[in-house]
Amino acid sequence: MKGTPGSARNPHLRETAVDIAVPFLLLLFSFLFSSIWILMMGKNPLAAYAALLDGAFGSSTAFVNTIKKSIPIAFASFSIIVSMKGNTFNIGAEGQLALGAMGATLAGALIPGLPPLLHIPVCLWAGALFGMAYIAFPTVMHVRRGVDLLVILLLLNNVANYILQYFVLDLFKSDNALVPSSRSILGSAELPYLIGPPHRMTIAILFVLVSAVVLQWYFSKTVAGYEMRAVGLNREAARYAGIPVRRYTGLALFTSGALAGIGGALEVLGNYHCLYTDFSPGFGYDGIPVALLCGSNPILAVIGSIAFGALRNGSLTMQARVGISNEIISVVQGSLILSVASNYIVRYLLNRKKGKEKVHA
Amino acid sequence: MKYAVEMREVSKRFPSVLANDRVSLCVKSGTIHAIIGENGAGKTTLMNVLYGLYEPDHGEILIKGTPVSFHSAMDAIRQGIGMVHQHFMLISRLSIADNIVLGAEPGRGLRYDRRQAEEGVLKVCQSYGIALDPRALVQDISLGMQQRVEIVKTLYRGADIIILDEPTAVLTPQEIDDLGRVLKGLKDRGKTILIITHKLEEVMDFSDEITVLRAGRHVVTLRKEDTSIPELTAYMVGREVHLGGCKASVDNSQVMLELNHVSCHPEGRQALQDISLTLHSGEILGIAGIDGSGQTELTELVAGVLPCQEGQVTFLGQDITSSSVSKRKAGGIGFIAQDRHRHGLILDFSVEENLLLGMQRRDAFISRRFLRNNSQIRSMAETRIRDYDIRPPLRASQAATLSGGNQQKIIIAREMGAEPALIVADQPTRGVDVGAIEFIHNTLVEHRNRGGGVLLASLELDEVMMLSDRIAVMYSGRLIGILDARTATREQIGLMMVGRRPEEVGV
Repeated sequence: MKGTPGSARNPHLRETAVDIAVPFLLLLFSFLFSSIWILMMGKNPLAAYAALLDGAFGSSTAFVNTIKKSIPIAFASFSIIVSMKGNTFNIGAEGQLALGAMGATLAGALIPGLPPLLHIPVCLWAGALFGMAYIAFPTVMHVRRGVDLLVILLLLNNVANYILQYFVLDLFKSDNALVPSSRSILGSAELPYLIGPPHRMTIAILFVLVSAVVLQWYFSKTVAGYEMRAVGLNREAARYAGIPVRRYTGLALFTSGALAGIGGALEVLGNYHCLYTDFSPGFGYDGIPVALLCGSNPILAVIGSIAFGALRNGSLTMQARVGISNEIISVVQGSLILSVASNYIVRYLLNRKKGKEKVHA
Repeated sequence: MKYAVEMREVSKRFPSVLANDRVSLCVKSGTIHAIIGENGAGKTTLMNVLYGLYEPDHGEILIKGTPVSFHSAMDAIRQGIGMVHQHFMLISRLSIADNIVLGAEPGRGLRYDRRQAEEGVLKVCQSYGIALDPRALVQDISLGMQQRVEIVKTLYRGADIIILDEPTAVLTPQEIDDLGRVLKGLKDRGKTILIITHKLEEVMDFSDEITVLRAGRHVVTLRKEDTSIPELTAYMVGREVHLGGCKASVDNSQVMLELNHVSCHPEGRQALQDISLTLHSGEILGIAGIDGSGQTELTELVAGVLPCQEGQVTFLGQDITSSSVSKRKAGGIGFIAQDRHRHGLILDFSVEENLLLGMQRRDAFISRRFLRNNSQIRSMAETRIRDYDIRPPLRASQAATLSGGNQQKIIIAREMGAEPALIVADQPTRGVDVGAIEFIHNTLVEHRNRGGGVLLASLELDEVMMLSDRIAVMYSGRLIGILDARTATREQIGLMMVGRRPEEVGV
């Protein structure tokens, strides 16, 4: 029946308030849950979290490092958001990230004589192309034959890891490095600094911001973005409306692969200038909770990525100062993912009064 | 005679709306009492007040002559009131017996005595003549059966007064008949039954007395013998309702759509078999048939959603057999699909975005070749909302929040607004109230009067006979015959619907 009390007074405002409140409540819950484990280790959780916060945002260096960590996470989350808008789920961002990094390394090291203004875009394109190439096979299988994406993408993440090892340790290895690494990119491919040494913050963050704005603009303002959202929200209704559903699913997956590839490329061009076998501690996976927590809104995903970057960055300080393993951050993240999965319950509790009346109305 | 339920001057206000305005209701013991009204008339609110889910702002309630005051549904259940909601509240992975006893499980301490539960449920079923297997899992049984489980649940808790909210909305015609028998059986055993509905045929079938609500107010209470469907309709809507539109004579010489030996077998299932028919401009071609005879597939095939494997489809002289949906839309075919939630609307989209669906590539709604032209889209949405009386008239509200009738109006506004030559409509009035039905009928007939074509599939034979110029009868994927609507009788169509040849029924 119309006119239930909850829906009567500006339902949109209430919904928006819930949308914004939920991620924070989930974060709070994860920290509370992780506190139990820290207490069991005989440490003070408040001290641990203070150290975490200090390590993430306590100084300008800490802050810059947090931002640096958040860049690949942001691209992974964009990658997953785009795939979700196209009614699929790209769980293979980790693999595409690695391939993108390889593409950028190759282009950065092997193409001499280009000015930076040309060399950097070429390397980013190489990263995007490698990412797209890596998702091409699953995409074609999914769109043409209806093969389940989840399994094939997860398995390809493993394959990507081995390709990366082969690339770094054999195919493109550096002969004069202390740590096993690939050959370095040329100076013309290195990203310029936005803030110079000692902070060394490159212009990579600008790519994040521009991409977020472009994605948001694409989905809200363009005809194609409207069509892709229609496919994502109700595939069948989109098909009945004459929207080429499979084309959009394919487009979403290729774009998704390209975005993850650019994320990997930026790590090489901006941070390391070469590749290590363990250059990604799982950025591609971090993108998943970010995308889910932020309700697949690219602008919010930037904030979410910074939060996850802060966890990764601050955990080191926490380990050094309070003496608890930074693995506890995995507990925070794990419980966060669990609570995202139970997102529904939180929303239900927040809307309980409203929900109760809705059920009975 | 003693009243089982007496509600006196009950009012219930929600922040934005007065849902019940001094409504009085008297229900005689041992009768079936129907409460009817359009969507939003306050029927469900009134019953929720009776069931203790809402506390009334004003007024009193008497159960079997004693004044009561309910603070929760538990209070109502204790007074012998049970309610079956429109959306069943069953746990699909539990057995029927488990579901029925839930909340009042027999057993000692923590132990649950399943056998006693099953026996208890069986006893209740037998004493009311209701057939149920207590051990079957709810996920395996039909919706009609699930409804019986809900009814038995109220009986198990000792209900004397049973409220059913829109009990037939989800049932097949066969199941509706069964429900009628169950309800009569309960009445014969002294139970009092209240049903909320907006379907008048059922009202005349089931009930002894009828109360009409309109805009939160009590309009009239009548005995079934003293009234008729047209009278009840007029009370519900507040004016005379004229279904079937008003047909003018039009030139219908031009062939608009032609199907030539069309067959279709999606996933190996023979859905359409060798169908040939023509549809003219200024004509409504109705498709009659029992559910699942291929009507839906036929409409989908013309709309282009379902591929045509054999034969040829011609529209306005052009072969469109393998044209895409968007090409057909642009060429002038509008489609009102049967399942509005799955196929017609994107529920998470706003009303405006839904009104745009399928037309987003039209020049008028595009600026600079790839951007949405928001000012054009907005003015289109506002015009449609006004012209088609979509309520609430807010283009930004989410489609999911609108009532079924208004959701259907979004689809009709969108498809008609594109100014198609041919409208393909599959059960366009399913599950909407009588005011909306009248509106939809008028819209389709006006389209015909302007020289447009309408291909109308409906399970309601009355609707097909009322609206059509010619009636095509389908049976098991085949076209049995096409009749002239002016001369065809219900009996002829009915026999053809079960597969008799036209020659056999005297056409």
